[in-house]
Amino acid sequence: MKKNRLGEFQELILMTVVVLQGDAYGNEIQRNLEERLKERLSMGAIQTALKRMEDKGFLTSQWGAPTKKRGGKRKRIYTATTYAHQVLREMRDIRAQLWLAMPKLGTSNA
Amino acid sequence: MNKHINDAKPPGWALKLIRTFLRHEYVEEVEGDMEERFRDDLEIYSSRKARLIFAWQTIRLMRSALLKKPGRHIRLNQYGMFKNHLKISTRYLAKNKRFTFINVLGLAIGLASFLLINEYIRFEKSYDNFFTDADQLYRVSYLRLDNGEIKVKDAYSSYSVGEALNDELPEVLRHTVTKGLRPTVLKYGQKTFTENNAVSADSNFLHLFDYKVLKGNPRTMLSGPASVVLTESRASTIFGEEDPIGKVIDAITPYNFSYQVTGVIEDIPVNTHYRFDMLVSDKTLKDEDDYQNWSYNNYMVYLKLKKGAVAGELNGKATAIIEKYKEYHGNVRLDIHPVKDIYLHSDFSYEPQPLGSKQSVDFLMIISVFILVIAWVNYINLSTARSVERAREVGMRKVLGAVRKQLVAQFLLETLLVNFLGALIALSIAELFLPSFNQLVEKQIIGHVWNHPPFLIRLTIFWLLGSIASGFYPALILSGFHPIAILKGKFKTSGSGATLRKGLVIVQFAASLILIATTFIIYQQVNYMQGRDLGISIDKVISVQVPAFNSNTDQAIDTYHKRIKSFKASLNTHSAIIGLGATSNLPGGISDDINVWNTTYQIAGHSEKQRGATFVQMNDNGFLKAMDLQLRAGRNFNTESASDSNAVLVNEAFLKRSDIYDYTQAVNSKLLLGGNQFNIVGVVNDFNRTSLKQGIEPTMYLPRSHVRNLVIKLNDANYLAGIEHLKQKWSSFFPDLPFEPVFIDDRFLALYKQDRQFGNIFSVFSILAISIAILGLYGLASFYSMQRSKEVGVRKVLGASKLQISYLFCKNFFQLIGLSAIIGLPIVYFSMDRWLNNYAYRIDFPWWLLVISLLIILLFAFFAIGYQTQKVASLDPAKTLKYE
Repeated sequence: MKKNRLGEFQELILMTVVVLQGDAYGNEIQRNLEERLKERLSMGAIQTALKRMEDKGFLTSQWGAPTKKRGGKRKRIYTATTYAHQVLREMRDIRAQLWLAMPKLGTSNA
Repeated sequence: MNKHINDAKPPGWALKLIRTFLRHEYVEEVEGDMEERFRDDLEIYSSRKARLIFAWQTIRLMRSALLKKPGRHIRLNQYGMFKNHLKISTRYLAKNKRFTFINVLGLAIGLASFLLINEYIRFEKSYDNFFTDADQLYRVSYLRLDNGEIKVKDAYSSYSVGEALNDELPEVLRHTVTKGLRPTVLKYGQKTFTENNAVSADSNFLHLFDYKVLKGNPRTMLSGPASVVLTESRASTIFGEEDPIGKVIDAITPYNFSYQVTGVIEDIPVNTHYRFDMLVSDKTLKDEDDYQNWSYNNYMVYLKLKKGAVAGELNGKATAIIEKYKEYHGNVRLDIHPVKDIYLHSDFSYEPQPLGSKQSVDFLMIISVFILVIAWVNYINLSTARSVERAREVGMRKVLGAVRKQLVAQFLLETLLVNFLGALIALSIAELFLPSFNQLVEKQIIGHVWNHPPFLIRLTIFWLLGSIASGFYPALILSGFHPIAILKGKFKTSGSGATLRKGLVIVQFAASLILIATTFIIYQQVNYMQGRDLGISIDKVISVQVPAFNSNTDQAIDTYHKRIKSFKASLNTHSAIIGLGATSNLPGGISDDINVWNTTYQIAGHSEKQRGATFVQMNDNGFLKAMDLQLRAGRNFNTESASDSNAVLVNEAFLKRSDIYDYTQAVNSKLLLGGNQFNIVGVVNDFNRTSLKQGIEPTMYLPRSHVRNLVIKLNDANYLAGIEHLKQKWSSFFPDLPFEPVFIDDRFLALYKQDRQFGNIFSVFSILAISIAILGLYGLASFYSMQRSKEVGVRKVLGASKLQISYLFCKNFFQLIGLSAIIGLPIVYFSMDRWLNNYAYRIDFPWWLLVISLLIILLFAFFAIGYQTQKVASLDPAKTLKYE
């Protein structure tokens, strides 16, 4: 956990990849995340995060099918590794513990 | 779908940006994503906005995680390939030793010869370039015209010209006036020696020709009278370890001064047209020469012009200036020409020393290029011929993914390697043979090549250039093979490659043939000139120069004459001396070494008045006999007889010029020459006074007994005793003067020195060129014969004899040599016939030498090819056909 820290943005993307399952390619990830965050993201940021996480072993990727819309270019489909699932779970646990440890906040609609 | 969605395209530059800068493995994915997104945007926005978004997003893609790592990846890859190429190349070269040897040796000899000749050419072109203001130095010379036509081009002009131009031409910064002094006998202490290299100089001399002053005050050392400046080496031969400054040297003859040494300058380098070892201040000579005389054209006048002055434009102005001082009626024009151009381009007479020849330099340049090209052609031929052997490798590499560019790089690398070996050996050869080369050109060009940076730079340049010139075509051929055809085993050498090889062989042998024939013709011409009957006998004729009249030692001119006379008489007593004469101009002198009267001439009653150059020589009574010169008509003059004071002899050429062929009618006729009148008493046969480059000069011989060059004809049987007697008498009559006899035949030999030297250089490099060509032919023949060994086997089985097989191989090559003769021989004829026209006495064009040259080439080729074919023809067909 120490070595391969996930940034907040990276964590969001990683989770999106898991959510999208078989359809997690760059554009789809971006669209999905933009909807959730309600803001426009740059493809450069998405791609950079994807490549970094792939280097760190959170993601693997393989070529998908080309489409006409893409000018005949293939998609690259990303899959989260078991290691990534494990790290995500750890992160969630840490957060959950922190939530429990926190004093009640003033107005909470939770 | 909206129309604009279909038509809109993302901006091309942005796509290009992605493809160029993003990592190769990301491009497809990212480009696809971007394009998909672009299509989505088109649904919402205008195509303009979509494109804008695309562009903006592209720019935001340029993040270090996505960009290519600069170079690292790619360079690593090439290094790996480079290592592999190097390994394969070295293996191939090591395996094919004969091929490598022929190529490397050829390239080494070619490169070494080319660069050495280049070094020599550079040296020849470097003359007078070393002065600080070399670009501003010019010489003024006189051109004499007759009816607007240039008749005489003398390097000399007069003392006054320099002064007038300096005063009146604003472009002239400084001028200096100098002249060569006659060989002078000098005395220091008990030592006497003859100084042949003294020139006069004024205080500006060292300003224009800025030799380094080692001792003395550069500003004043030439400004006073009786001052002399020596070169370093001359100073050390005279004074040894002593300090020369302030020492006094006496001139004994023909000048009669005491000089004080006021300075020492560095030695004069070889590459200047005006060499000297002693500068005598011109104030010393003031009494001797008439400085105000505009006709006394015995000076070299040099100018230093302002930067950017165009000499050609000054000629007219300069001529106008001297016309103010003396009325020349348009018959004299001044010519201001750059000092730098004198050595190779001057066509003036009376140059202070022998000059170089632009023609020789050009010829040598051509040879050097020939040699280099022949060596390169060897490489091209052998590499392309052997391409079959490399075909499998090329096929395999291509199948494994090599692209053409890589293969070209591989074969170029191989060429670089071969050329590098060649260059290394060339360096050793050049260093090893540099002393011999210096001897061949009779000049110390450079001391070493290995520590001479310009040489090393040129070596590197021509290594690279040669690699590209010789390696590019083979590399293209080899890399162009079609892998499927090769690996199927259907590969054949291309027809066009064979044609090119044939063409190149023809070029090689045409070049070789030109060189060998040219060499023969040069030697033939030189031998012809050396062996031709000169019209005089120069065998065992020796010459000494008696001292000039000197008022210090001789009380009166009479005593002087008496002394010379009794010296001559003492020589005549010896039995070995069978002829004794005196002359103003020794036979075998250079062409300028004689007086010329450019004036009108007429033989009264027999010819019209004409204008032209008459050569004037002064002889005594004994000259005809001593030189074995024959009288064609009339009699010899007698210097003792008062009635003969106007008598002259003329030569045949002199009469022929006036269309007089019956010489007896000219005898006792009046000769009107300019304003003088002479009486022709006899006609002597034509003889060659100087090199056979020049024709016979129309000459008049005046009777004078007191001329200083004695010619002494010695008896064949005891000529050594005669020389001994001469020496004895010399030292008793002239104890102060060194005894320096000269053989007339040596003088003639020296005249042909440059031609002989040119022939020697030519022959050495022709032999090298031919050797390289033959080496290449040998390589080619050996390859072809190996390649065709199976064919030979089949032919032998079917009953062909060894002879028939040898014929089969030789035929092809001999056809090529035949073709090269058709190209080469006309070139030899046209260039050499023109060269021979430089000589007044030339051989007829020696066709038989062309035949001999061709035969020599054929003979060498026969050995080179024959050896190989013989080997193949002798192979047992059972062995060569074993695998079929």
